[in-house]
Amino acid sequence: MTSLIQANGLSKSYGSHQALKSVDFSVKRGRIVGLVGPNGAGKTTILKAILGLTSYDGELKVLGLDPARQRHQIMQKVSFIADVAVLPRWLKVSDAIEFVANVHSNFREDRARHFLSKTNIPMKAKVKELSKGMVAQLHLALVMSIEAELLVLDEPTLGLDILFRKEFYNQLLAEFFDEGRSILVTTHQIEEIENLLTDLIFIRDGKIVLDATMEDVAEKYIEVMVSKDDAEKAEALDPVMHRDVFGRRVYLFEGVSREQLEPLGELHSPSVADLFVAKMKEGK
Amino acid sequence: MNIAMGNTFKALVKREFWENKGSMFYTPGIMAAFYAVFLLILVMFGNAWVENGHYNIDLFDHLPKMTAEFDSINEEDRTKVVQMGLYGTSVSFIFVMLIISLFYCLGSLYDERKDRSILFWKSLPVSDLMTVMSKFVSVTLLIPVCYFIVISAFQIYSLIFATVGAWFGGSSGINIWASSNLFGVMFNMLFSLITVSLWLAPFWAWLMFASSWAKKVAFMWGMLPIFLIVFAEGWIFRSTYLIEVIGERFAEAGMILASNVDRLVDGDMLDGAGSAWYQVFGNMEFWMGLIVTGVFLAGAVFTRRFRDES
Repeated sequence: MTSLIQANGLSKSYGSHQALKSVDFSVKRGRIVGLVGPNGAGKTTILKAILGLTSYDGELKVLGLDPARQRHQIMQKVSFIADVAVLPRWLKVSDAIEFVANVHSNFREDRARHFLSKTNIPMKAKVKELSKGMVAQLHLALVMSIEAELLVLDEPTLGLDILFRKEFYNQLLAEFFDEGRSILVTTHQIEEIENLLTDLIFIRDGKIVLDATMEDVAEKYIEVMVSKDDAEKAEALDPVMHRDVFGRRVYLFEGVSREQLEPLGELHSPSVADLFVAKMKEGK
Repeated sequence: MNIAMGNTFKALVKREFWENKGSMFYTPGIMAAFYAVFLLILVMFGNAWVENGHYNIDLFDHLPKMTAEFDSINEEDRTKVVQMGLYGTSVSFIFVMLIISLFYCLGSLYDERKDRSILFWKSLPVSDLMTVMSKFVSVTLLIPVCYFIVISAFQIYSLIFATVGAWFGGSSGINIWASSNLFGVMFNMLFSLITVSLWLAPFWAWLMFASSWAKKVAFMWGMLPIFLIVFAEGWIFRSTYLIEVIGERFAEAGMILASNVDRLVDGDMLDGAGSAWYQVFGNMEFWMGLIVTGVFLAGAVFTRRFRDES
């Protein structure tokens, strides 16, 4: 498997503040990677470095190219939607398609028109006349019509309602994603995409605290609901975290075998959100 | 430049037109429409106004006399009168064009950050150099061409208007058209507009550079440094070099524009040596200005490329 993104010792400082502390990670082809972390953890810095929008130290290759110097070649094969990448209000829908078609050699105009025909977006409307959801639909239609190898999404559904958010990701899976492409996504609404992800990266204070495939996560992290009587036995196995639910206690274990845990109670895979909370509290 | 880059560049310039249609085309268009209607009103009701006023001058009584007078003067003078009239119609348009160009440059690399669309533009495979150049070409070529189209339309309207006047005065009006040298006027008009914009290019490029790093109120970032440097220069060196250079640039821009009329009145109107727009290209200062332009544009490209949008 080839790596679309390869970072070794990637660092970034803003003055005396170290936003990224020498992180290593890779994104392979055909994966959907969730990059999750609290605000200020360095997510956006990583994305900006990948997209050549900020300077950095260390080694970073995107599609084998250097984003600091070859950004414009990289953008031939990389698309992104960020909550801050707003479509200009004065732009007409039909003009937006014409423009992207003229500047992007990998843009498939017929696809964009096909996607838009399935929405209520009028071709003659200007962006400022569209609802927030429609603007996001338009942006998604444009981006999905680009035959990109890597799609970077930074809070793409921020401020949209739940119906639209589901539709957004469904469309992305059905119409865009395949084994030749990868998606790197950050979002606060992690529970909405956890079934989509193939890989998970957690970042805290500029460091990666988890980097694993979803299969590895399911194998390594196990949640057990334990009755109060067995609490002591569970504590003995050194759980990473516990929380109380209806008078019972749910323990989260890392790297403890199923055989050891089964006598304690029913085993579950933790949700990404619970795992995230555990990882963020670790060592604090 | 290969075909793909050519397409990209065309699309970028078109993009500028879409965004700035209002100031590039509708503004002069509305001005022209306003003048056109104003002229009509003047003729239709002008008669009544003067009759009720103190001076009892009847336009329609005078038309035959004016027409006869116009037809009687020699051809050379007639040509001057008509062409000067045609150039005269363009003055207010050119003035507006320069002001529009100024604000266009100030917004060129600032508005995309203000409306937060810059990351959308940057998500497309377009280099910052191409983007900045498309904006520079818009101010030095697209805006002059737009204004030229409107000015030409209004000049043709003015000729038709005068012809109808001549009909009322009992003449065919053919002399007006024969003396207009319309295509010559249009040709000179188009190229003086472009030349003036190129002559002022260092100024446009400076404003674009300011626009690329302004955090707020691009106008202030564009103007304040100039005033500060002029002020500092006067205070430290007791000299006025910068303001003189800037002032001369603008004065000479005026001369380039006036050259079309100067030529008609034998070059004495503004006491300028500039007798034609194309002579600017033989002027060393013009080329030095383009070098300065290049430096500021490079600054704008660099700022747009490496500015951290957070």
